[in-house]
Amino acid sequence: MSIERENQIHPIVTESTLSNLYSLTSSLFGVTAGILGLESYNGFLLYLVLSVITTIFVYVVKVLPESLSEGRSIGDTERFFKGALQFWSGGLASGMPGFVLTWTLFYGLVRV
Amino acid sequence: MADIPVQTLHRDPQLFYWILIPITIVMVQTGVLRHYASVLLQTAPKKQDAPAMREQRSLGRGVALRSNYHSLSKKSFESRRDYLISAYENGDFLKEPEKKGQPPANPMSDPGAMDGMMGMMKNNMAMMIPNTLIMSWINAFFSGYVTMKLPFPLTIKFKSMLQAGVQTKDMDPRWMSSISWYFLCIFGLQFVYVFLLGNDNAASQLNQQMQAQQMPNPMMGGPGQDPDKQFKAEAENLAVVDHYSVLDDVEGRLLASLKKA
Repeated sequence: MSIERENQIHPIVTESTLSNLYSLTSSLFGVTAGILGLESYNGFLLYLVLSVITTIFVYVVKVLPESLSEGRSIGDTERFFKGALQFWSGGLASGMPGFVLTWTLFYGLVRV
Repeated sequence: MADIPVQTLHRDPQLFYWILIPITIVMVQTGVLRHYASVLLQTAPKKQDAPAMREQRSLGRGVALRSNYHSLSKKSFESRRDYLISAYENGDFLKEPEKKGQPPANPMSDPGAMDGMMGMMKNNMAMMIPNTLIMSWINAFFSGYVTMKLPFPLTIKFKSMLQAGVQTKDMDPRWMSSISWYFLCIFGLQFVYVFLLGNDNAASQLNQQMQAQQMPNPMMGGPGQDPDKQFKAEAENLAVVDHYSVLDDVEGRLLASLKKA
């Protein structure tokens, strides 16, 4: 079955609410990294870890109860999302510029 | 690799108040302004007479049928297709059937056509003018200052971009001038706009460019094109559609899902 046809049968849920969440939280992560004074890899690592923690919160609070009541196993995100990878890594790229901006700003503000 | 001693610069704390904060405030406000400008500049669609409307809408109907055929059954799709193709080829929907085959009028002389172009011009202007203004404003007032240090290292190639106007040869490329703060703001202020204006705002220029790419043919049925030729092309497009329905084999899928559960 072609991808086009697959999408017509199972329409994709838009990720707009999640991408909103990521763009707001990533700026807060930037503040965190800046105040802690992290540099280079440490900062990006903090961003990665905190983003994954945010996604875990979303999963536990929103996705898991619905999935369980539908008889799906733990860790299965197919109730709302196309694939596991899309759910876990979808917001990373969109939040990155905001993270770098606030990280730079607070890094500069804290260490004049 | 030998350890390069970390460069330290003593910067005046006043730089924050007089350079960073003004640039950031101006960038946020231009985004908000751009959002409201694009809301206000949207012209309401002009009222057209019935034949012109019919010409546009019937072309749109063909396009809609071609892109949504999967939700129709084969029989109903084919009856719609046969009707539309024969009507397109006879020119039943044309605004001026007697003008068939003549070259279209010059779009500049048609006042209705000018309106559509003005709309596009306005949108482009709302994007272009603030950018050029702010760039030249920053270049005129704030060039030559080192304002900040990036928290991550960069290669030497970034030096010419980040330290434009700062002529210090051996400075680490991590030090950035005010113009690079401007670039960071362009890319990174999306979260502020989401916070202030909601999700589908028109503030970020990146978003607008993406939307412009998603609309490959904004001028459909627009001015300066021969409607008869557009109808003929649409008839051809409809004729080659290979129909299938989403309901094909649906009972098999239902049974499979029941068996799994």
